[in-house]
Amino acid sequence: MKASHTTGAERQAALLQASARVSRSIASILDLNLLFNRTVDIICDEFGFYYAGIFLIDETGEWAVLKAGRGEAGRAMLAERHKLKIGGNSMIGAAIQHRSGRIALDVGKEAVFFRNPFLPKTRSEMALPLIAGDEVIGALTVQSEIEAAFSDDDIAALQTMADQLAVAIANARLHRQNQELLRQAERRTRLLQAANKVGKEVTSVLDLDKLLPKMVDTIVEAYGFYYAGIFLVDESGQWAHLRAGYGQAGKAMLAEGHKLQVGGHSMIGTCIHLNEARIALDVGEERVHFKNPHLPHTRSEMALPLAFGEKVLGAVTVQSVEERAFSQDDITSLQTMADHLAVAIHNAYTLQALEAAHAEILRNKVYEALTAATTEAIHWIGNKALPISMTIARLKEDLADGQPDLVSLSEDLDLIAEASEMIVQVKEQLIGQAREQKPRPVLLVDVLQAAIRARGISGVEIQIAPEAAYVMADSTQLARALGNLLQNAAEAGASAILVEARADAKGQVYLTITDNGSGMSAETLEKAWTPFFSTKSDHHGLGLPAALHVITQLQGQIQLHSQEEVGTTVHITLPGARPAPAELSGAPSILLLDDDDDWARFFLAALPTARRADTPAEADLVLIDQNLTGADFDTLIAQIRQAGLVEKTIVLTAAMDVDRMTRLLRLGLRDVRLKPYSPAEISALWQA
Amino acid sequence: MTTILLVDDEKLVQRSLEKTLLRAGYDVLTAADCRSGWEIFQTNADTIDLAVFDLNMPDFTGLNKPGAGLDLLQKVLEARPALPTIVLTAYDEVNKARDAMALGARAYFVKGREQGLVELIQGILGKQE
Repeated sequence: MKASHTTGAERQAALLQASARVSRSIASILDLNLLFNRTVDIICDEFGFYYAGIFLIDETGEWAVLKAGRGEAGRAMLAERHKLKIGGNSMIGAAIQHRSGRIALDVGKEAVFFRNPFLPKTRSEMALPLIAGDEVIGALTVQSEIEAAFSDDDIAALQTMADQLAVAIANARLHRQNQELLRQAERRTRLLQAANKVGKEVTSVLDLDKLLPKMVDTIVEAYGFYYAGIFLVDESGQWAHLRAGYGQAGKAMLAEGHKLQVGGHSMIGTCIHLNEARIALDVGEERVHFKNPHLPHTRSEMALPLAFGEKVLGAVTVQSVEERAFSQDDITSLQTMADHLAVAIHNAYTLQALEAAHAEILRNKVYEALTAATTEAIHWIGNKALPISMTIARLKEDLADGQPDLVSLSEDLDLIAEASEMIVQVKEQLIGQAREQKPRPVLLVDVLQAAIRARGISGVEIQIAPEAAYVMADSTQLARALGNLLQNAAEAGASAILVEARADAKGQVYLTITDNGSGMSAETLEKAWTPFFSTKSDHHGLGLPAALHVITQLQGQIQLHSQEEVGTTVHITLPGARPAPAELSGAPSILLLDDDDDWARFFLAALPTARRADTPAEADLVLIDQNLTGADFDTLIAQIRQAGLVEKTIVLTAAMDVDRMTRLLRLGLRDVRLKPYSPAEISALWQA
Repeated sequence: MTTILLVDDEKLVQRSLEKTLLRAGYDVLTAADCRSGWEIFQTNADTIDLAVFDLNMPDFTGLNKPGAGLDLLQKVLEARPALPTIVLTAYDEVNKARDAMALGARAYFVKGREQGLVELIQGILGKQE
């Protein structure tokens, strides 16, 4: 359709129809660029015009900026950022200012026409204001190669279309605003969630190596930034060391030991030095920006101080690939986050300082304890060895005299023997408890009775709750530990010693040994665990340290409470145990020589075919409880030898003693064994 | 006869020293802690010519205490300021020696050289005579 070959009425109708088509096809376009380009194309195609272009008023309200232009000419002008002064001498400028369409039918004669080198063929031009509501938002230019191409009627027809275009532009703008609002709302929600997460983590994680990487991940993921990193100032106060960095860039910089000088030219360095946030919205123009090869896409960067009170502990860097990426919301919420983080870092530092102080105290205590133990040991051995050298000197004198006093000489030899014996015994006392333990379920009452009998202690009352009957222990070592404790009670002059045991729901057994002896002073109590410390000159001072060693190895705990003139209570915790039940079969005829004690009752309940007796009698297997009180053990052994039963006899003991075992085996006994405390252990007696 | 009070809690040390002193011709009274040492001193206050105290032994309450010998030394010297006294210890410790001398002990002797002790006693008693 060419404007010049049609009548006025036809043109009018055609223009109106084309306007309606243009309106329909652009009404639903929400993308502004698409809307503009489609509009200029449709106008030129439908009406056969040479050129069409759309201008919008810029933010200043002074210029109409070209937003779309038809063809090469349009592209070239867009590239030049073509704009026209509103109210200037251009037709567009005039149309906007006067809010009315303007026609230049013969451009050569129109004073307001701007001679445009990109559109040399233009002979007619129409400029129509784009009015949405009451507001002029821009203008539409339509140009023709034909002189006098437009009539006043054309203005009316095309103005209708321009009005539709203005509405479409307003709609698209509104849509864009809505989208932006929605995006901001979503972002706010995400930031709130992130802040919440950070808040929780900073209060619960005191390990900076865990907390800081979590922080950078949270910041980057919640805000959609390119990178985040956390720097902490070192002790010298001169360097900020990267302690956490996001992604591969972070990993690489951490591996390089990336650090920045406080007060240097980096944003981090300046931020820490000044204790204030630094923002570089276009990093290329910011003097303090550190050009980082690991983060080549950074276009905006923010550095926020991590300050606790007046002290700057470090800084957070946040980087984006977008220019002007940080909104006021971002800055506010990130600084709040940084403030929380600074508190967490401060807390972690405080904890580290406390831990260091604690470690130092511990080190000093260990050193003190070692020094005390060594001093006690040297003192002890010196004291014990002293009579040997003294006596030897005297013996030499005696021999030099040529008239030795045999009685005195014999006593001197006894002194030497006794002194050396004490020194030799210490070896077993020191090493004995350190031998490897073989924990198994053991009958607590039996081990206690063995310890009591071995040490010849009287006045002990035992009260064990049924659920505390068994503990997980090495019976030999437990008898040693309990024996040491009971002996201490007896030697403190106790007339009554009460041993109680109960168990909790988790199966832990609580054992207490309470005596009414002389008790200990606070000073003695403090030293009680020190090896070689003793209040008695004829003791080696290893009883309590040995008990501590044994109980600790059994995963138990031991504590002393004592009051002078009142007595001492030892609290012991040990893991409880339950021996596995088992059916016993194939047992030979067994005679058990034992008192009617707890262990014998356990044994006979597990093996009802066995007989208990006080004197030896014929059987396939004779078992003797070494811990029997009803008869004299040695007499019993003599009777067994007399009855010819030695080779069928096994001595059972809760606590193995090598000397005693050797002596019994020399008598020809079949074996000396640890007492069985479970059916399986009983069956091992005849299966071995 | 010269009588020496010997207070030492190490049984074997005490007996060995006692034998050495007996052989040197002294009468020896022995005790194993501050309390019994003080009792023996009180009952024999007039006959004791010299006292030898171990430095570390049970104190007056019977509890082992480092330096308890100095407590007994002080008490004995309060009762008899002119009594010659020697403090024994198992190992050399200058500060304790200074304390003992400050309290009025005539000498401080490190255990282990009995003949040295006899010579020391003879020297102290000789000077006095």
